[in-house]
Amino acid sequence: MPLRLGSIGDGVERMVEILAAEERSQWVERAQRLLHDADPGDLKAKLRDRRTRVPWLVAIPVSSMDDVFGAPDCPSYFSVVAADGSSVPPDRHSPARFYVLNTGRAILTYGERPSAVLDASAQFHFQMEDLYLYPSAGSFPIEGARLSAKMAVAELRGLREATERTETPVAALRDGSLILWGLQNEDSRVQQRFLREFLECLDDFQNAGVPVVGYTSLPGARDVVNSLRVWLCQAEAIDCANCSSPEAMDSCKALVTILDRQLFGFLKAGERSDIFESTSAILSEYGDHRIQFFYLNVDGEVVRIEAPQWVMHDSQMVDFVHSVLCDQCRRSGVHPPYPPALQEAHEQAVISITDRRLVEDMVDRALARRGIVFTRSAKDRSKRRRAV
Amino acid sequence: MRVGEIVESNSTGFVCESYELNRPPALGSLVKVHVGEARDLYGVVCYGETGSLDPGRRAVRRSTDEVYDHQVYRESPQLEHVLRTEFTSVAVGIVERGIVVQGLPSLPPPLHFSVHTCSSEETILFTENLYYFRLLLRASGPVAVEQLLAANVREVYIERGSDEEWLREAAREAASLLKHDYDRLMAVLYAIQPVR
Repeated sequence: MPLRLGSIGDGVERMVEILAAEERSQWVERAQRLLHDADPGDLKAKLRDRRTRVPWLVAIPVSSMDDVFGAPDCPSYFSVVAADGSSVPPDRHSPARFYVLNTGRAILTYGERPSAVLDASAQFHFQMEDLYLYPSAGSFPIEGARLSAKMAVAELRGLREATERTETPVAALRDGSLILWGLQNEDSRVQQRFLREFLECLDDFQNAGVPVVGYTSLPGARDVVNSLRVWLCQAEAIDCANCSSPEAMDSCKALVTILDRQLFGFLKAGERSDIFESTSAILSEYGDHRIQFFYLNVDGEVVRIEAPQWVMHDSQMVDFVHSVLCDQCRRSGVHPPYPPALQEAHEQAVISITDRRLVEDMVDRALARRGIVFTRSAKDRSKRRRAV
Repeated sequence: MRVGEIVESNSTGFVCESYELNRPPALGSLVKVHVGEARDLYGVVCYGETGSLDPGRRAVRRSTDEVYDHQVYRESPQLEHVLRTEFTSVAVGIVERGIVVQGLPSLPPPLHFSVHTCSSEETILFTENLYYFRLLLRASGPVAVEQLLAANVREVYIERGSDEEWLREAAREAASLLKHDYDRLMAVLYAIQPVR
């Protein structure tokens, strides 16, 4: 049955009214003033004080709150390597349990001898040890957040291998966050397993001196805004249910509607914010690779750039990454811009609906050749045939 | 010289992906496909185009005041991998052990086979007879058939070392075939006139 749009239309109108409200833009300006006025030292101390017990995800300023850094000059000869992944997840309606990971990569070299290498590698996983974290017990099947974590590891490995093929200064880009927040709700054994592999890859990047960054377009994070809410709060321990300051509470509630990318809307094209440290719980397991981030105006949108702290502590690496990202966005053929290396890695990685069906057919045919004719679940067949 | 690979094939012609971006063989030039022992299928290039490899992605403007033309490709090296040049050829005959048979082949050329340009000697041999003009004038595609015929005559004339006698014969053949279509005939004659 078609979706009954009539009941949705009114809601859409009301939503747009709220989004377009003038007071909302005024609140962004007030938040920016708050960012300017907040003392990074005092805020850092408050955020690190265990008594504060912050109920939100916050960002700790590394240095300043609202310093701005212009794009440094880009080197004349360098490479950008990017990786992205796509998967055919296990299908419980399928006769056989398997999944496919496809890692797309792009190696773009600029300068005297420009070149490009675009490739992808597909992995078919079907053994018990691939399907379950503990195959003998058949527990912790690789699906959902665990499959995403496995994909993240595969992407990072692919990225590392690709950087080894370059002979120039190179920046490694991954689409999205470097924080495996999806593992936060997983069993500690699951976390340890995937984190070990992920962090080993980051070790390799660090040993090779190759900066690796996560690029998030249109970020929905509000870590820095949440830090400002902590700054506003007069109480020693944050307890919103018993807030004693109505004025602070109004400001606090208004800040909830603002995103970090709006807060840093004052950045001009090419400028980046100062560096902040994420406080995601999973990062307590990251050791030397704790993730820090900054916001960057790529001339069309404010994006979030994440990197391990050893990258962010090295001003040369930060400048290199900053300049390369601005250069990538300058070379983008779309607006708002998006790094061509990431775009091509995505194009290599993407698994079309046709390809997904082909994989299913290959499995079905291979089974049939051995005389094994499984049937799909009745629900799956009813969806495919859609008989009336 | 190998210039492309067949990606579509049928009884009247074949579509090839060019090995070199933006450089399909010239419109009207002769190409051949090695389809068997001493047996080549000949075609005349009737259309060429360059666009995105992925039909879901369109090429977009990338030039600026400072970066344009060839520099665009240096600035965006991935373009060589995500764009492709295709050319279409109309089948015009078979050459087997040096014997030319102008007309449609009994079988379409196999998909993924290589397409080669024709040497001057091969062009001279194939174009001794002009019966294949009839196939060009019945070709379907975006290029008007009289322009296709004219392009072929120009290419062959040059490949034959500016053979004036052949050009006159080609003009007479065109006049014979288009005697009932004055406008098309004049378009051909105008276009094949050597520039002096």
